[in-house]
Amino acid sequence: MNEARYIDIKRFAVHDGPGIRTTLFLKGCPLRCIWCHNPESRFPQPELAIHYPKCTCCGECAKVCSCHAIVNGVHEFKRANCKACGKCVDACPSGVLELFGKTITVDEAAEKLLEDRIFYADGGGITISGGEPLLHSGFCADLLKRMHSEGIHCAIDTCGNVPWSAFEAVLPYTDIFLYDFKCADSEKHKQLTGCGNELILENLKKLNATGKEIEIRMIMVPEHNMAEGNLKAAGEFLAPLKSISAVRLLAYHSLARSKFQAVGHPDTMPDVPSPDADTLEHCADILRTYGVKVINSLK
Amino acid sequence: MIFGTYAEDEAYLWKKFQAPEFDPSTGIDQDTAAKEIIKFAELDAPPPIIKARAFEFLTEKLQIEVDPHDFFPAFACWRRRPCPMSPLLRELQKRVPLRQIELWGLLNQSGASNIWIDFDHSVPEWDEIIRLGFPGLLKNAMDWREKHRENGTLDEKIDAYFEGIRITYEAILRMLERLIERAQMHKNDRCDFVAASLLRLHDGPPQNFFDMLQLIYLYFIFSEHIDHLQVRSLGNLDWMLTPFYDRDLKNGTFTDEQMREMFDHFFMQWGSIDNYWGQPVYFGGTKADGSTQINHLTYWLLEEAAKLHLPTPKIQIKIAKNTPDEFIDKVTALIRDQHQSIVLVGEEGIRHIMTSHGLTEEDARTCFISGCYEFGCRGKIHSTGTGVGHLNMLKPFELIFNNGIDKQTGKPVGVAIPPLTSLKSFDDFYRLYIRELFWIIDANIKVVDDFEQYLDWINPTNVFSPTIPNSLRTGRDAFATGSDLNVTSILTTGFGSAIDALSVIEELVYTKNELSLEKMAAALNANWEGHETLHRRIVSFKNRYGNGIAHVDRFAQMLSRSIGSHVNGRPNARGGEWKASVHCAKQFIHEGAKTGATPDGRFAGEETSKNASPAMGADINGVTALIRSALAIDAASFPGDFPLDVMMHPSSVKGADGLAAWRKLIRVYFAGNGAAIHFNIFDAEELKAAQKNPEKYKGLQIRVCGWNVRFTEMAKSEQNMYIRRAENITQ
Repeated sequence: MNEARYIDIKRFAVHDGPGIRTTLFLKGCPLRCIWCHNPESRFPQPELAIHYPKCTCCGECAKVCSCHAIVNGVHEFKRANCKACGKCVDACPSGVLELFGKTITVDEAAEKLLEDRIFYADGGGITISGGEPLLHSGFCADLLKRMHSEGIHCAIDTCGNVPWSAFEAVLPYTDIFLYDFKCADSEKHKQLTGCGNELILENLKKLNATGKEIEIRMIMVPEHNMAEGNLKAAGEFLAPLKSISAVRLLAYHSLARSKFQAVGHPDTMPDVPSPDADTLEHCADILRTYGVKVINSLK
Repeated sequence: MIFGTYAEDEAYLWKKFQAPEFDPSTGIDQDTAAKEIIKFAELDAPPPIIKARAFEFLTEKLQIEVDPHDFFPAFACWRRRPCPMSPLLRELQKRVPLRQIELWGLLNQSGASNIWIDFDHSVPEWDEIIRLGFPGLLKNAMDWREKHRENGTLDEKIDAYFEGIRITYEAILRMLERLIERAQMHKNDRCDFVAASLLRLHDGPPQNFFDMLQLIYLYFIFSEHIDHLQVRSLGNLDWMLTPFYDRDLKNGTFTDEQMREMFDHFFMQWGSIDNYWGQPVYFGGTKADGSTQINHLTYWLLEEAAKLHLPTPKIQIKIAKNTPDEFIDKVTALIRDQHQSIVLVGEEGIRHIMTSHGLTEEDARTCFISGCYEFGCRGKIHSTGTGVGHLNMLKPFELIFNNGIDKQTGKPVGVAIPPLTSLKSFDDFYRLYIRELFWIIDANIKVVDDFEQYLDWINPTNVFSPTIPNSLRTGRDAFATGSDLNVTSILTTGFGSAIDALSVIEELVYTKNELSLEKMAAALNANWEGHETLHRRIVSFKNRYGNGIAHVDRFAQMLSRSIGSHVNGRPNARGGEWKASVHCAKQFIHEGAKTGATPDGRFAGEETSKNASPAMGADINGVTALIRSALAIDAASFPGDFPLDVMMHPSSVKGADGLAAWRKLIRVYFAGNGAAIHFNIFDAEELKAAQKNPEKYKGLQIRVCGWNVRFTEMAKSEQNMYIRRAENITQ
């Protein structure tokens, strides 16, 4: 697979693995987490985002595409008709429109990722995230192979809900897996993400057996997955997996809410406050009782 | 021997340089002194002697105090601007036969440049001051006078130079006697302690840690507040103080606690003076032999400075390859905790710049850091710099699009402008832009050379000169022509904005043919009114400097090389050379206010980009891309200095991982020959909260451009500028 759709390339990504990293976010995800921070990455196909607060209703977009119209000073958009051709993006003088899901080849991605290679020495590198990058395992394998040949440290940020063969494709070229652990109970997991966790946990065990370094990432969402029972169950499951170097607790926030509106998805973000450092530390202490190393990202 | 606590003395210290009260019986106040000083203009004597007599008058007559709440004397010349010497210097300046007054006025009024006589960027040879003390500096100068006499080189002018020094330093010693007498009058333990130190300094070089602090402070006051020459660095304090701290601790002269108390009071003097430009002091780097300067006292000094949390003194940290990671992390953790008075300078970048201009690696290792981020030689050779003239890199656009007429004055400025239709290619346009830029540079240099040849007429520096060995050897004023290197810098304003403007013109006018130059001219001359769609198009234009885009950053390379080759090495009027600098101080606001709308989307009057940094909001591709853009420039093009401003969100540098990534960023920047970088770590929401509830954010500091201020004391418009900037950074 020589190309994939992507939503963004983020530089100085210090939360996507060790050191200074550049992260490539690919499009398409098998889960539908209610707190999703990248709703524009969910669907595999290209999507137009409209940042309505910036729109001046100048009508330039309507001149090039009938999906857009300015009616009584309101920007109306027929999303169902949109082919995501991007003509309106070029026409918009205000940067209101943004196309997510442009195609990028392995060569192009490699060139972009290598731009920051001066920052990667001594522990940094590149990360492929998403969406779910392993939905594009062939692309990832080709890209990671290229990066590895350049001596670049490589990470995959995965939800784990993909066939094991996808892991096998990238294993030789991946230095660390950043592996999401959202909830121990499968039924609850299904409520929160639209999908049970059996495959995720099975893949995690298999990955552990390969000896590859794994960092578990748990996003802590108040009233949803921070209950003591869930944390204890997580601790019990993770404790025996010796390839896990650390469990990193991340704090939920609702800053991505405007993105749901921009891409026209129903807003499912929980209306709960972001947990503070002390709350996260309490969760960390519960997990630590199982002997796992826990990093509180707010400290 | 603890005389009290810093907390008990703090109220006095804050008042000391803001609204002090003196015993009238000790002398005259500074306003009276400023009125009387003018009489010295009537003396029939060379300028060094006129000024020395005025200095003598001030030291004999000004009110003084040695207060029990302080370790350091107070002088009735607490307000630096205008200082009592100012009226006399204005008189001396009137006698100078300047020939470029009209051109000077045109440049300043148009905002094409901004020029004033710079007395603000010299640094004494602190090692000489420490080695000799006040009486030793006097004796050394008089010995040199005799050598000149013996060698037959003591002409009338050189004799006046030495006579000025003699009068000045004898006056300093007599003032120390006044202070000792005043201190002893109080019958107070601390005053007696101070008197004993003053007596030692009257008789010789400093003997202990406290003498050192007292000497630095007194030299500063004598030079900056009385002799009207800024002391642009208090020196590298870890280097200067370590031998005294270690010896006093070992001998039991002072405890660590006592020295901390003394140092806190010392640092607080500049907290109280509170000049907006901040008082520089630097730590760290390497020694002449290449070993690291970072030692226990470097950490100690940093701890005390952090504890006081003052906007000034501002602390410049020299970072070298062998600077320990642990030390860098300590510094950045302080910056993250809102100690924005810290700026980082890189020895590797300075080495690249200095060795590109004929200086040595040792010169780079031992260089002083002064002003905002400037650097210069000290020790074996000494450089004295002036920063005179701020090249407005956006003014040429206004002139090109307005037929060569400056909008501020309505007068023609610069080269003749051909019809816009004749600029058939981007190269035609770029060539004209450079011709216009060079015209402003040449005019700037003509004006500055005109007055800089008379610096020792206008402001002979009798306190400063005997600290510079080459000045004594040559008998020439160290500020004018007597330093080993006498540098004059031209500073640039709007570097990043100019790149953006060129990028817009190249792409939209010449590559995509979206508009003509005539249409651009119409939009700019209307300040975008009636051209809103075009303006929005340009505002959302992404191919801007600061995003690591090679075909945009090539303009940074072209402009820096062009300016560097046009300026660097040109002889100045002080027997030295001109140097270019990509540093603008406050001019990004002042010159922006005098510049019409520009093709990068700026409205008329808006600020420009500053230093080597992108225009506000232009860098949208992350900090690594920003650094790559800056490193595309060959820093050697800007031997004056080469600073970069970076604003980051707190979330990107949180925790030990955040500090490690930040450290890497700094190391990469300096390894790539970046010379200086300063960080503001802000969350837009926090800034908004501070604007709304200033009482809760009194300690919040913003690094402006080489100096820092309390956010809550900024004008609302300036606060909004930083809020907008913070909103543009991503988490």
